[in-house]
Amino acid sequence: MQIDWLAIAPEIVVAVTILGVLAADLVLPRPLKYWTATLAVVGLTLAVVPLILMAASSVETRSLFEGSYVVDDFALVLKGLFLIAGYLVVLMSVSYIESDRYYQGEYYLLLLSSVLGSLVIASARDLIVLFIGVELTTGPLFMLAGWRKGDIRSNEASLKFFILGVLSTAILLWGMAMLYGVSGEVRFDQIRSALADPSPAAQPLVGLAILFVLVGFAFKVSAVPFHFWAPDTYEGAPTPVTAYLSVSSKAAGFVALFVTVYVALRDRVDIWGPGLWALAALSMTIGNLAALRQSNIVRLLAYSSIAQAGFMLVPFAAASVAGEQLAEGLAATVVYLVIYALMNLGAFAVVIQGARRTGTGDIDGWAGLGRIDPRLGVLAAVFFFSLAGIPPLAGWFAKFVMFRAAIAAGSAAATSLAVIAAINAVIALYYYARVAKVVWFDEAPAGAEPATEPPAASLALTLGIAAVATVVVGVFPAVFAVFGEATRVLLASG
Amino acid sequence: MTLADYLPLALMGILAAGFVAVSLVASRLFSPNRPTPEKLAPYECGIIPETEATQRFPVKFYLVAMLFVIFDVEIVFLFAWATRWLELGWYGIAAAGLFTLFVLETLVYVWKRGALDWNVKTSGPLPA
Amino acid sequence: MILPQFLILAAALFSLGVYGLLVRRNAVMVLLAVELMLAAVNINLVAFEAALRTSQAVGQVFAIFVITVAAAEVGIGLAIVLMIFRNRQSANVDEFDLMKW
Repeated sequence: MQIDWLAIAPEIVVAVTILGVLAADLVLPRPLKYWTATLAVVGLTLAVVPLILMAASSVETRSLFEGSYVVDDFALVLKGLFLIAGYLVVLMSVSYIESDRYYQGEYYLLLLSSVLGSLVIASARDLIVLFIGVELTTGPLFMLAGWRKGDIRSNEASLKFFILGVLSTAILLWGMAMLYGVSGEVRFDQIRSALADPSPAAQPLVGLAILFVLVGFAFKVSAVPFHFWAPDTYEGAPTPVTAYLSVSSKAAGFVALFVTVYVALRDRVDIWGPGLWALAALSMTIGNLAALRQSNIVRLLAYSSIAQAGFMLVPFAAASVAGEQLAEGLAATVVYLVIYALMNLGAFAVVIQGARRTGTGDIDGWAGLGRIDPRLGVLAAVFFFSLAGIPPLAGWFAKFVMFRAAIAAGSAAATSLAVIAAINAVIALYYYARVAKVVWFDEAPAGAEPATEPPAASLALTLGIAAVATVVVGVFPAVFAVFGEATRVLLASG
Repeated sequence: MTLADYLPLALMGILAAGFVAVSLVASRLFSPNRPTPEKLAPYECGIIPETEATQRFPVKFYLVAMLFVIFDVEIVFLFAWATRWLELGWYGIAAAGLFTLFVLETLVYVWKRGALDWNVKTSGPLPA
Repeated sequence: MILPQFLILAAALFSLGVYGLLVRRNAVMVLLAVELMLAAVNINLVAFEAALRTSQAVGQVFAIFVITVAAAEVGIGLAIVLMIFRNRQSANVDEFDLMKW
C-alpha cells in the first residue's frame, strides 16, 4: 500500500510525542515531571516542520487512503493554527499546572491528544475519520475541564460539559448514520455525487440527516440555542483549559462543520444555508446581550466567544443563503477564525496573569490594574480592543473581511445578516471597553503596591507571541491574502 | 407462516403459565404456614448473615471493571483485521502489531501507576 | 430485508435515550441513556449496511468505531461521576446548581 508519509507526518509526530509523554510520566520522579511539558513543546514544534515542507512543495493536494484523508492548503493552514494554539496553551499551562501540583504528565498527554484530534479533523474527508477526529478532540477535554478534582465548580463544569458533549455526539452520529443510509457511502465526494439526485422517497430523510448533523456540530461550537453548557464549563474549568476550549476546540468544531457541509453537502445548501443564518444571527445577538450583564471576567469571555462564533459564521452563512460565492465566504470565515484564535488566547493569558495579580476574577476587582502593572494593563487593552474590532489591531481586519464578504454575497437575507452583525459589533464594543475602563480609569484599591515580580517566563512568552501577532496582522493584513487561495483549493478538490 | 401455525406455540405458553399459577395457588392452599425467625432467614442452615445483601462495593472493583471494559472493547479492532488478515499481508500484521503495542503501553502505564493493585487501602488519588 | 422495522427499533431506542438523558436524576442512569442512544446509532448503521450490501462493509466498520468510542466515553463519564461522588456524596445531576445553567 502506497502512503504519502510526509502528508501524515505532523500527526505521527504528535502521536509519538503522546506516547513519549506517557512513558516519561511513568519513569520520571515527581520533581522532574516538568520535563513532560518540555517534551510536549518540543513535539508540537517538530510537528510544524513537515507542515512547512508541504507548504513549500509544489504538490497542491495530497490524497491518502482512497481520498478519506486529504492534505490541501486549507488543511495546512488550519493544522498550523491548531499546532500554534496548542503550543500557546501548553506554555500558558506550565506555571498554572505547576503551582497547584496537579497531575502534570496526564495533563499534557490529554492536551496533546486533543490537538491530535483537531489535526485529524482538518484533513478528514470521510464520515468515520471525521467522527474519530471530533471524539479525539472533545474526549480529553471532558477530563481537563474537571482537572481541579477537589473543586466542586470544576466537577460541575466537567459533568455539564460531558453530558452535553455526549448528547451532541449521539445526535451527530444519528445524522451521520442517516447520511450513510441515504447515500450508501461515507466518503464526502461520493456522498455528494450520491445526493445529487436522490430518489423522491429519500428526500425527507436527507433533510432530517442534515438537520441532525447541523445540530450536533452547533453543540460542539456552542452556537445559540445550543450554547447553555459553555459559560458554566468555561467558568469552572482551569483557565488554560478554558482558553483551549474557546479557541482550539471551537475552531475544530467549526472546521468539522465546514468540511461536512461544504464538501459533502454543498448541493443541498438550500437546507443548511438558512440553518447557518439562524445560528449566526442568534449567536451574535444573544451572546452579546448576555455578555453585557456579566461581572466575572471568564464568564464575560465565555459569552463573548459565543458572540464571536456568530460573527465568524456571518460570511459563510451570508454566502450560503445567497447561494453563491461560497468559497469567498468560507475564506473570510477562516480568516476570522485564525485572527480570533490569536487574540482570544492573548486575552486568556491576560486573565490568568491578572487573576494572579489581583486575586479575583471579578471585573470590578481589577480596578486600577493599569497602575499596579502597566505592562499587563496595556496588554489587556490591546486584546480586548482587538476583540472589539478597533483598528489598527488584528480584530478590525477580521471584522472588515467579514462585512466585505457578507455584503458581496448580495441577496437580501445576506445583507440583513450584515446589518445584524453591525448592530452587534457596536454592542460588543461597550463591554470590551468596560474592561479597559476598569483597568485604566478606576481607582486602585487602597494599599495596592506596584508590581515588582514579572510573570512566569512561559506565560510572558505566550503574551508576547499573541500580542505581536495581533498587532502585526492588524497593521499588515496582507499576510492573510494567502488564505483566499487555500479555500479555493478546497472548492476544486471537493 | 399463517397465524394458525402459531397455535401450538400459544398453547404451550398457556400451559406453562397455567402450571405456574396452579402450583403457586395449590401450595398456598394446602401447605401449613408456621413461620419462625430461622425459617425466614435467607439461608436456613449455615452462616448467619451480618449485613444486607444489597451493600455497596468498594470503589477499587469499579476501577478494575472500567479498565477491563476499555481494554476489552479496544481489541474489537483486531476482529476487523482478523477477517482479512491473509489479503492484508505484512502491511496488516505491521498495523495490528503497532496497535497492540500502543494498547500494551497504556496497560503498562495503568499497571505501574497501581490501578490494578487490589491491596491499596485508600480510595484517594493514585500514587505518583 | 426488513429495513423499516430496524429503523423503527433504532428510532424508538434513540428516543428512549433522549428521554432518559433529560429526566433521570442519577448520573449513572444518564450514562446508560447515552449508551442507549449510541446503540441505536449502531443498529441503524448495521441495518443500512445489510440493506445496501456495499462491498467494503463500511457500515460495520463505522459501528466498530462507534462501539469503541462509546466505551471510552463511558469510562470518562464514570470517572467524572466518581470524582463528584467523592466530593459531594451524591450522584444526582439536578443538585449541580452552583452555577446557573
